[in-house]
Amino acid sequence: MLEAADLMVFYENMLALNNIGVKCAERQIVGVFGANSAGKSTLMYTLSGIMEDIRKKEEMAGGERITVLGQIEYLGQDIMGLKPSARARKGIVLCPERRRIFKESSVIENLRIGGYLASKSQAKETLDYTFELFPPLKRLKKRIGGFLSGGEQQMLAIGRALMAQPKLLLLDEPLLGLSPLIQSLLVRATRGIRDERGISIIITEQYARPVLPIVEYAYILENGAAVLEGSRDEVLNNPDVRSAYFGMSEQ
Amino acid sequence: MEIIIYGTINSVALALMALGFALVYGISRIPNFAHGALYVITGFITWIFLRALNLNYAFSIVLAIIIAGIIGAFIYQFILIRVRGMSISEIIASYAIGLAILEGFRWGGFKGMTYTLPVFIEGTFFIGDIPVDVHRTLVVIIGAGVVTFLWLFTRYTRLGLALRGMAQDERAALMLGIDSDRMAVVAMAIGSMLSGLAAIVLLPLGNIVVEKGYDVLIQAIAVCIVGGLGSWVGAVLAAFIIGFAQILTVVYLGAHFQMVVALLAIILTLILRPSGLFGRQKELEERV
Repeated sequence: MLEAADLMVFYENMLALNNIGVKCAERQIVGVFGANSAGKSTLMYTLSGIMEDIRKKEEMAGGERITVLGQIEYLGQDIMGLKPSARARKGIVLCPERRRIFKESSVIENLRIGGYLASKSQAKETLDYTFELFPPLKRLKKRIGGFLSGGEQQMLAIGRALMAQPKLLLLDEPLLGLSPLIQSLLVRATRGIRDERGISIIITEQYARPVLPIVEYAYILENGAAVLEGSRDEVLNNPDVRSAYFGMSEQ
Repeated sequence: MEIIIYGTINSVALALMALGFALVYGISRIPNFAHGALYVITGFITWIFLRALNLNYAFSIVLAIIIAGIIGAFIYQFILIRVRGMSISEIIASYAIGLAILEGFRWGGFKGMTYTLPVFIEGTFFIGDIPVDVHRTLVVIIGAGVVTFLWLFTRYTRLGLALRGMAQDERAALMLGIDSDRMAVVAMAIGSMLSGLAAIVLLPLGNIVVEKGYDVLIQAIAVCIVGGLGSWVGAVLAAFIIGFAQILTVVYLGAHFQMVVALLAIILTLILRPSGLFGRQKELEERV
């Protein structure tokens, strides 16, 4: 479905992504793990095209010179250089780190804004699905986005991304700062989205353990480079990974 | 009583002048300093259609407002888009466009007191013993209509919701497939049409003169600064505060102090509450 190869991103002369290749097949959940500043968000921005927007804005304001190199093939088309809105229209929707919900709008309005690309019937159907997936949102329909708790905001952010009718959903650190209970709820919901809607998902996290059970293939980033990739079991059984990302030492 | 009636009329007039500016800034963060020029240009275009081409008045109005919208969209698409994101350049560029339009009209011979538009409906009626002319009542009705329309538009239409999303977080809107440049063009077109509508409603109460362009710009900026840049709800509220303050000044201090009110309001707001009544500036700073 999506195949990115040789991705390089430079901020001035600093290398943020170093020769990374990512693949995501139809109906697959792919995990990208790594510590802070390993390049997870940069990767997500590059895939979703937000990097193009950042690059353009920096260029206009005379700020940092950002260079993006490599190929991204999506559904057989080269999408490198496409605007983020064009990529969203093709079905690549990013649910960003720190959620970025519309804080002054109510829950229902957030979801309606998310449905910009959806037809009327799609929007209605997805809205019902979102409320089914995250029942608390239905109860909080009229609540202003900024007043939601972190977990509720994350549900809203995922629901809003679903409203945009994605074929490939990019989830950037959806579990950041949430309680284990909410984390497991979100992980289950993520699998549900794939199983019930057939949406492919790329998910990033710092800490792999809560997400790994639903991930079929994983990449591990360090300092902008992929140091390891493999199926869930391959990653799980790698001794370095076990100690660094799961907090498990070899007994 | 007189103060309440004329205060309301004056406030609604101010709100009409400011809404276009507030809307454009709120959605795309562009301080559109060509706002006043768009106001005057719509007046002259209507005048040309009506007097020089002898078109029907209602038809001239609709046509002129549409042309104002197109001019606004062009200003963004061909000029402002190149300096997007650099606020100083945006101000200079839009102000330069405004100057070119306004001084262009002066150069073209559009000066003096000869350019007027007829009021929509002649006539005067009395509220108690205070005379109010029908056109001024229409100003209030149209103003209320515009605010209602904007409220419904930004809450219940796909485009309006997308504009609201972009106003709150441009990058999050981008992720949902909302094209920020296209939305900015739409915002400029709507803002310019609002400016044009204000011109058509308010100009029949006076003459169409080039100086109105500068006057409207100052009033609009005053209202937006008091209300909080970017919030059109704040702008409506601020229009009422400044509008009533102006009428009170006229009644108790004299008519020539009227212009001071708007300027004083700018200064006081910047000293006491720089982000205005409903401003987002401060909140943004905190977030960073």
